[in-house]
Amino acid sequence: MIEVKSVQKSYGSGESRFLVLKGISLKVNTGDFVVILGASGSGKSTLLNIMSGLESPDQGAVLYDETDITKLSDSERTKFRKDNIGFIFQQYYLLPNMTVEKNVKMGADLAKNTDYKTMLEAVGLGEKMKKYPSELSGGEQQRVSVARALAKKPRVLFLDEPTGALDEQTGRQVLDYICKLHKEYGFTIVMVTHNQNIAEMAGMVIRMNSGNISEIYTNSVTKNAYEIGW
Amino acid sequence: MVIAVVVGIKDAAKLTGIFIIVCCAVLVCTLFLNFNIDIAGIRDEITSQQVMLFYEAQVSTAKVVSSLCGGCLLITSVIMLIFYIKHYVDTHKKELGILKAIGYSGGKIAVNFWVFGSSVFLGALAGFAGAWMMMSAFYEVQNEDKILPAMSPHFHPILFLSLVILPAVLFGIISIFYSFLKLKAPVLRLLKESWQIPTGKEKHREKREEKGGERPFLDELKRSTLRDKKTLVFFIIFASFCFASMTQMSFSMDELASAMMGIMIMLIGIVLACTTLFLAITTVINGNKKTIAMMRVFGYSQKQCCQALLGGYRPMGYIGFAIGTIYQYVILKVAVYVIFKDIEGMPEYGFDFKAMLIALAAFLVIYETVMYLYSEKLKKISIKEVMLE
Repeated sequence: MIEVKSVQKSYGSGESRFLVLKGISLKVNTGDFVVILGASGSGKSTLLNIMSGLESPDQGAVLYDETDITKLSDSERTKFRKDNIGFIFQQYYLLPNMTVEKNVKMGADLAKNTDYKTMLEAVGLGEKMKKYPSELSGGEQQRVSVARALAKKPRVLFLDEPTGALDEQTGRQVLDYICKLHKEYGFTIVMVTHNQNIAEMAGMVIRMNSGNISEIYTNSVTKNAYEIGW
Repeated sequence: MVIAVVVGIKDAAKLTGIFIIVCCAVLVCTLFLNFNIDIAGIRDEITSQQVMLFYEAQVSTAKVVSSLCGGCLLITSVIMLIFYIKHYVDTHKKELGILKAIGYSGGKIAVNFWVFGSSVFLGALAGFAGAWMMMSAFYEVQNEDKILPAMSPHFHPILFLSLVILPAVLFGIISIFYSFLKLKAPVLRLLKESWQIPTGKEKHREKREEKGGERPFLDELKRSTLRDKKTLVFFIIFASFCFASMTQMSFSMDELASAMMGIMIMLIGIVLACTTLFLAITTVINGNKKTIAMMRVFGYSQKQCCQALLGGYRPMGYIGFAIGTIYQYVILKVAVYVIFKDIEGMPEYGFDFKAMLIALAAFLVIYETVMYLYSEKLKKISIKEVMLE
């Protein structure tokens, strides 16, 4: 279980100090699919960065079972991310001078996963292993980043606007792959998005506004990627 | 207005490497060529055969040193300049693409790259001025046993023209011409940030991929870093080559030349080596910021990132050191023969193991210190900043 306790985060100093998160608390159960919804500047990406150990909060704690990751040193947090966390970003951040296969190996090698090609096949890119990112479409690049993140067998997968740079059809396709793999492997998903329709796919929805949680609700019935609006 | 968009002060500051190399080259060449011209003026005053032999030896030394040092450093400066421009265009593709998209022609943008040539002018000017500050002392050292008639340094405009003005113009033209060629790329290719695979290399790449398919990611990253940045491999080899050859040369020639010349050669070697090494490693780190950030996000340790990106250059450093060691031995052997062949009791020159060991130890310390400093720099790369870029 992930527990976020009274997390505060600000940027800048003095008069230009801006409070981005104003004491956030929430709980995410293992295997849950959580969507954090909010407009630009609501603090959702900052919350995701703090929950995943990419950033430290000014105050508060982030507990993974009994481990408070905010108390870990930089190298301990790196090791924590190595063992537990997977990431998918809006801009893919694939390594441009490496083939699709090598990009996925980047994640797989960390978990000593030699079966990484299965993951590429699972996202429909078995045929494009020897291609370079620049030779793929946006949707294909995002699917590579899905395979890369999951090849390291993470306990928790963090996604920051994964469909933000994709058209509707490709976006749905990527989300569909993620959902199928979520059901198959049972990892926890925390996804940040501003697209309200995507929230219908998640079991739990956290709505943020100006650094606060304005609403938390659960969906008793969840939809798949092709049933939601766009 | 375009110039501010094309090349900023921060970019120009990166040309310190060229500035230093040109400064060193012009300093050495000015000293020896000026001496060479002035010494020709006293030829008629020499009556003794022995003094004439000494005179000939001095003329030969000046010619060998200035052509070797000047030539070698000139070639390096040109390679470095082209590397800088290529690197600059690659990292500023988007801005340059926007300029082209809004209507600036490739030629109009390329003209602004003359700024890169200005580093040569400033370096040459500093080297020329530095040489003149040392000129009187240099003349005294060259003739410290008073074998030749008394000489005083004279200013020769031809040297200023050929060592300061001409290189600056030449490098300015190279900068404009090379950037023009690079900017001939279509606008869309410039605007597209992603890395392009040269189509001619497809087949070769596929074969390579088949071979390296099962290699661990970190090994593959190490290989691709070396493969994609061949110019940097050259610079690392060159840096250690300079260090090995010039430090050993300065130790070995204590019986053949003045202490001043020895110290000068050693200092030039160290400055050149450090400048080139810093340039190469900084480029590796800056060019791989996103890779490093993603590796850190995924949980690769700082040591692993450092090993994968910089570790591959270590063997290159030692190869450069070995080549530099052989080079300095051969060059000194040849130089001793050329300079002293007509002089009775020609000095014997043998390989100096002690000098080699001292140079190797110093090289190890400097190289590993630089690597350590850069691994600390890796630690400071902000994941968030890179993501926001």
